[in-house]
Amino acid sequence: MRARPVTLPAETDFRSRLRSAAVTARVGTWLAICFTVCFATGLISHYAQNVSQPIPFPTNPSWGYRVTQGLHVITGTAAVPLLLVKLWTVYPRLFIRPPKGGRKLLLEVLERGSIAVLVAGAIFQLASGLANSAQWYPWSFSFRATHYAIAWITIGALVVHIAVKLPTIRGALTSDVEDTTYDRPTATEPGPISRRGLLRTTWLAAGVAVLVTAGSTVPLLRKVSVFGVRSGDGPAGIPINKSAAAAKVAPAATSSSYRLTVAYGDQEVSMTRGELLSMDQTSEALPIACVEGWSASGTWTGVRVRALLDLVDAPPGSEVRVVSLQESGPYRQTVLQGNFADDDRTLLALALDGEPLALDHGYPARLIAPNRPGVLQTKWVSRLEVAA
Amino acid sequence: MRTTRIVIGTIGVVVGAFGAWLLLSRQDLDQLVDTAVWLGVGVILHDGVLAVATLLIGALVLPLLPRAARGPAVVGFVVLGSVTLLAVPVLGRFGARPDNATLLDRDYVVGWMVLAAVVLVTVVVASVLRSRSGGARGPRPGGRRRPHRA
Repeated sequence: MRARPVTLPAETDFRSRLRSAAVTARVGTWLAICFTVCFATGLISHYAQNVSQPIPFPTNPSWGYRVTQGLHVITGTAAVPLLLVKLWTVYPRLFIRPPKGGRKLLLEVLERGSIAVLVAGAIFQLASGLANSAQWYPWSFSFRATHYAIAWITIGALVVHIAVKLPTIRGALTSDVEDTTYDRPTATEPGPISRRGLLRTTWLAAGVAVLVTAGSTVPLLRKVSVFGVRSGDGPAGIPINKSAAAAKVAPAATSSSYRLTVAYGDQEVSMTRGELLSMDQTSEALPIACVEGWSASGTWTGVRVRALLDLVDAPPGSEVRVVSLQESGPYRQTVLQGNFADDDRTLLALALDGEPLALDHGYPARLIAPNRPGVLQTKWVSRLEVAA
Repeated sequence: MRTTRIVIGTIGVVVGAFGAWLLLSRQDLDQLVDTAVWLGVGVILHDGVLAVATLLIGALVLPLLPRAARGPAVVGFVVLGSVTLLAVPVLGRFGARPDNATLLDRDYVVGWMVLAAVVLVTVVVASVLRSRSGGARGPRPGGRRRPHRA
């Protein structure tokens, strides 16, 4: 090693010609595509979980939420190698000395500020999203509110970044990847691989990242997804998010005094599980798809929610409050919008794949509806209530 | 072009400002401080630790390898390094719970070793093939300077 005092490097010290805008723009394009898909699918999920939905969230296709949430986690995972390579190509820019003097300095500060926001937001979103998908919450902020807000900030900063860099992006993307027009003057040393090689390596890394994780939601990949959070095992072949033990419902759920109460105004009907089983049973193949990105499909059997609401003459289109035996937790009570309550496929499920529902799947009865976030498929249901 | 850029830039500022309002208006101060810490630590870990570690590996390890192995080694490093980083939450099993056997239900360390072995074997095979076919194809590090991959 050359002996020199330990100082910050200058931009000109970085000589690899792989750190070129020609590479940055190409990786950046795919990164922007991934972030856009992540943002759009995230908005869908956020809206699907809103209690108030001015435009009703559709019940079709039944697998819609499964696909959008799967895409959300898949594109977020693929973005990790893309972001790392992209940041590597522009790392020398971190050491550019700021220009002297008024207007130029101000512009530089603004641009660097927007990039700081973009980089901080991008790293935050990917890190917090990956931790969340593995149910790891090493922070005190609310994941949903923060991940949602910083998504808007990051996308805003990305749009600003594209506006600032538009001439370079266009120039770089319309010329050959080996073109040196947009290179820093000192970036002339060949790397151990070519620029095309680096691009292919980046696509390969993103592909491997998807293959080794996507088995949590793509059944075909279960065997190769060595980092899948869930391999798809569980009672009746469906994984569990919150166990009966964690929800502290086991005594109430297995008690002989369990009753399901359906209420509309002052009309009320209470039924045992046996009475529910003696009603018309319907079977539907519906996925359970969680916000954390895993999903699995099962055949659920039970009573149509609409048939239960008819017992108390609740009018069509009524919004239903679904109450669980859980004593606490944000999802103890959920709201089932009118279009979901009236859908023929929305069941109060009593069985899964021909077996009585497992306690961890919501025994004695759980809600299952098409195209609905897993956290809202309330388990251990004790009460369905329509306000008069 | 100039107008287009101004319009796009303005949209970006508005979208970002909406996000900032969402962030600031919905949580209490402790949670915001924690969010700020996470935002800052992420950048510091990348720019100050990960990027520097990558530079050091490039400068110290690559020159030790035979020339034909350097390209494959870089490919292997990018693939295995980035995938290992994104697997940290499952490798550490931080979210595992005794009451839920369906969560984090694989042996992730064994999975990592299998992946690392596949990458390593591929890198070695590619290196041998390259050296047999007459050394490194593609660009060679210049003969004038010692390889410097900053």
